[in-house]
Amino acid sequence: MTIAEQERDDVLLRRAAKGHEEAFTLLYRRHQAAMYRFALRMTGNTWAAEEIVQDVFMTLMRDPKKYDASRGALGAFLYGVARNRVMKHLERLPREVALEEKNEDGTGSGIVLKDASTPAIWLEKRERIRQVRAAVQELPAEFREAVVLCELEELSYEEAAQLAGCPIGTIRSRLHRGRALLMAKLEMLRGVSRRASVAR
Amino acid sequence: MKCEEFETIGLDAERDASLGEAERAAALAHASTCSRCAALQDSWLAAGAELRAFAEDTAMAQAPARVEMRLRQEFRTQHVTLKVRRAGVITAWTLATAAVLVGALSWVNWRKGVSNEAANHAKHSLSAANSAANNRQGTANHRAPVESGPALQPDSSESEDLVADNEWNDFTLLPGALPWDSADAAILRVRMQRSSLGALGLPVNEERASEWIQVDLLVGDDGLPQAVRLPQQ
Repeated sequence: MTIAEQERDDVLLRRAAKGHEEAFTLLYRRHQAAMYRFALRMTGNTWAAEEIVQDVFMTLMRDPKKYDASRGALGAFLYGVARNRVMKHLERLPREVALEEKNEDGTGSGIVLKDASTPAIWLEKRERIRQVRAAVQELPAEFREAVVLCELEELSYEEAAQLAGCPIGTIRSRLHRGRALLMAKLEMLRGVSRRASVAR
Repeated sequence: MKCEEFETIGLDAERDASLGEAERAAALAHASTCSRCAALQDSWLAAGAELRAFAEDTAMAQAPARVEMRLRQEFRTQHVTLKVRRAGVITAWTLATAAVLVGALSWVNWRKGVSNEAANHAKHSLSAANSAANNRQGTANHRAPVESGPALQPDSSESEDLVADNEWNDFTLLPGALPWDSADAAILRVRMQRSSLGALGLPVNEERASEWIQVDLLVGDDGLPQAVRLPQQ
């Protein structure tokens, strides 16, 4: 029996709980990218992000009753589980150095910038992105979460507050402090970059 | 709006849905009059652009295919294990139920057997008691089966019949004999010549004196005949 793509999450989850593999796969494909992006942006580590995504869906597979449809969307529930896993990961490895992202075959992340007109510009942009990623990774976990949710995931303050489980004011405050730290870090990195290019 | 307030809510006034129109206008007005806050906002816009570039960089990021593969494998294992476990539980319960049924049936049969046996035993005891009583009577009848040849051999079936029938009244008391105690008497069937009846004190037809006849003699515990009966030929 095939399942319609537009089938609701809770319906799919009920089917998956009864052993319907296709339903579970559909749920995974629907939500995995968002979970992976969030985990990757928070941890800066592809392996950690992969583990977190796997953990999130294992939780859903093993105990689907944990999700209560009356309390919100499945996506929000999965975000909550992913957030807990990310926080645990960050607590466990507070000083983990983010590695350069690699593809499955061990090559670089293979980012293709659509507006990269020349290799020099492309390289400069790659360097800037690396710096931004490093700056985000250096933010304390709570500020980083606010920046990732509001700036990178482009959620509203209200949605971010709901996912983080705190009031809007707290999210606004964390975001403000996170931004301040991020701007300072980026200014510093820009200065270093400028000095390096002058020296060359 | 003051600088501190602008730093907190003014930098992202356009996106913050919780702010009112008046607050947005105040933030805009403050940025146009305060060069420090205007520089801060420019810096934030530049940082925002770089964050967006970073966001775009990871916008298409997806979990590797191996994660899906591992999850599906785990899903299959989990549900197959669950099915196997359920089948095992069902089988175990079925076997247990069957064992209980067999046990119960065996017990019922055993109980029935025991009660039948007891009933049979009681019946046998009763019939044995009856037989014993009858045999005691029969034994008394058979106690002295003294034979003087094939002609005098007692016919056991007939003697049993005699005893069973209890036909004591058919006997004719021999002259001089006293009434007998049936418990101690025995019946003997013998063949003799009719003339021998004379020796017992009975009248004999002289014309048929040489005839061989079959006679039942009732012998007392002293071994002497006390009565005679001529069975119907």
